[in-house]
Amino acid sequence: MAYSELIKSFEKIRDYMREFYIYGFKSREDYTKKSARSYDDERRRIESWLGGYMAFRRSSEGKNVFISVDNRSVTFNPLHSAWKAKSFTDKDIVLHFCILDILSDGTARGVTQISDGVAAYLSHTETPFEIDESTVRKKLKEYSELGILRGEKAGRSLLYRLADSRVDLSSWEDAAAYYSEEAPLGVIGSYLLDRQEEAPEHFRYKHHYLLHTLDTQVLYDALCAMKEKRCVDIVTFSIRKDAEREHRVYPLRFYISTQTGREYLLAYHYKFRKPMFFRLDTVRSIQAGPVETRHEKYEGFAVKFDENLWGVSTGGDYSLDHVELTIRVGDSESYILDRLEREKRHGRIEPIDDHTYKFTADVYDAGELLMWARSFIGRVVRFESDNSFAVTRFYDDLGRMAEMYGGEEA
Amino acid sequence: MIFSEIYGSYFKAVSAILSKAADGALTEKELTRTVLENAFGESLITIPARLTDGSWPLLTPDFGTPLKHKPRMPLTTLEKQWLKALLLDPRIRLFAPSGEGLEDVEPLFTPDQFVYFDRYTDGDDYSDPLYIEHFRSILRALREKRKLLVCFHGHRGNRRSCVCIPYKLEYSSKDDKFRLITAFRNKPVTVNLSRIDSVQILDPWEENEYSPPREREEALVMELIDSRNALERAMLHFSDLEKETERIGEGRYRITLHYLRGDETEILIRILSFGPVLKVLEPESMVSQIRERLARQMALTAEE
Repeated sequence: MAYSELIKSFEKIRDYMREFYIYGFKSREDYTKKSARSYDDERRRIESWLGGYMAFRRSSEGKNVFISVDNRSVTFNPLHSAWKAKSFTDKDIVLHFCILDILSDGTARGVTQISDGVAAYLSHTETPFEIDESTVRKKLKEYSELGILRGEKAGRSLLYRLADSRVDLSSWEDAAAYYSEEAPLGVIGSYLLDRQEEAPEHFRYKHHYLLHTLDTQVLYDALCAMKEKRCVDIVTFSIRKDAEREHRVYPLRFYISTQTGREYLLAYHYKFRKPMFFRLDTVRSIQAGPVETRHEKYEGFAVKFDENLWGVSTGGDYSLDHVELTIRVGDSESYILDRLEREKRHGRIEPIDDHTYKFTADVYDAGELLMWARSFIGRVVRFESDNSFAVTRFYDDLGRMAEMYGGEEA
Repeated sequence: MIFSEIYGSYFKAVSAILSKAADGALTEKELTRTVLENAFGESLITIPARLTDGSWPLLTPDFGTPLKHKPRMPLTTLEKQWLKALLLDPRIRLFAPSGEGLEDVEPLFTPDQFVYFDRYTDGDDYSDPLYIEHFRSILRALREKRKLLVCFHGHRGNRRSCVCIPYKLEYSSKDDKFRLITAFRNKPVTVNLSRIDSVQILDPWEENEYSPPREREEALVMELIDSRNALERAMLHFSDLEKETERIGEGRYRITLHYLRGDETEILIRILSFGPVLKVLEPESMVSQIRERLARQMALTAEE
């Protein structure tokens, strides 16, 4: 098939964009194990969509292609462009503009009337462009489902008119600009901004993660199932195992990291009979299943489960680890105490003396606190836990870091 | 349906072209310009050709259109549902959009479906009327290109005020805070909105007064050892910063990070949290700070 910059399925492009954006050191050979042509086409498409955000570098391994973005300087997520590259047929685009124009006066019309109107619009062309009534009917049905048109019965026939549009988009301009970057499914905000002459550029973002937009379809499918209290069949893909797995689960909540941009689905796993996390970027598809009558019971699990979650790890056996982190705070260093207060997610802080404070918590996985505990290096009096693996790792890592940065001198 | 051509750049470009055609303002040059402004890099190969070769007979040979009106598409249910969901977010009070027209749709999601598990807990108070007033004044000044008189208190409580041009409103999801980005005497100034005591909108600024300060950028070089899935973790964790990554050996990578000078301590903490899988090589000042913290830590550990 001839190359086009538009795509039929989003799934294929997801992996390439992720790799180009996240890694950036891979050469063509790293991607072309499956198909060199596929790599060349996808790279060319992404280049076309992202323009100036694509960068190249020559290394000993060959030419590296990557997406380079200074997230702090961008007002709008450039990766949203991928969602605006859906392919379509000639009839799709012609019918789109003709139907909306025919109905633009607000009058309801039947399929035949609309089909005749389309034919009249196209009569100027010498090139035959035939659209039959059944194609028009399908398009009208599709647009009714999208909410653009409204179908109404008139005797035995079905008439269509444009849907009401009382939303004052101008009052939403700034909110749409901000939430297109900060709300779930932000690409919809980007669609709304595309309807405006100019999108406001008053905002910028710190700690701004862009990649999650590629998982929008998965998030949307899960939300639709959750609205109807349905269980779902999800297919996940493990890069390490190079294998797909299927799970039937009841979706409960989404856990979002503001420090990595990673997004997770918390769901009750029917087979394993426990709540589990699934990273959305590993989910290939979500299919809604039957309605779950015991949804209140599972939602109760989610609330209870959250009480001892530090991040998204449940540890090996869902038992609790007791953790104590004792910190030394110098004179006029109250900002350290402020850090402890605002960064702790569970647990409590108690003063030991004027300069020493102890944070205590019971969590599913003490190992998850290690990154946070290390951020206090230089002030940690003690890191204690009944999870001896976490404690050993903390002190071993300290030793290795001291060695790495100059051994005894450090 | 999220992935649909009706939201696509091709439909957007053709809509803009047809609008100009309906106005009688379309020329070949204008057609090219509109495609460049609204679609992708290679769209210029496709869209003008399709519109003129009869594939999409929406233009007449004289760059008119058989359509009788400028294209207009009502909002889709999906778009309305998304807007309805925003009305439930506490930050929406800052914007106060009209909820009219959304009565007949359900929100696409609700705030309780999302847990931002590592967000700091001392975020801004979006229900504070004074905070809302300050936010709206700054946003209005940005919209109307006006100067501001801002009075605020620093973190040590010292009061300051300045007449300034607002450049951006910056939001951090991790901190859950808005900051005003401006300049005073040509130096970049960042003011937490929660520290602002009053905001007064002044006259419009002149074009020659507008010169957003260049915040000083620093580069940091570090080596990553890919154990414990460190490569993927670090690549994601630092993906909010401009970075370059190079493979320098089996399981070893050299990463260059670009960050603003004011964020140095935060970057240092973020690197330390990775433990021994990341080693800073440059700049020497950052390496010295890490050495100093480690020395303090080893002394504390030895005390125990």
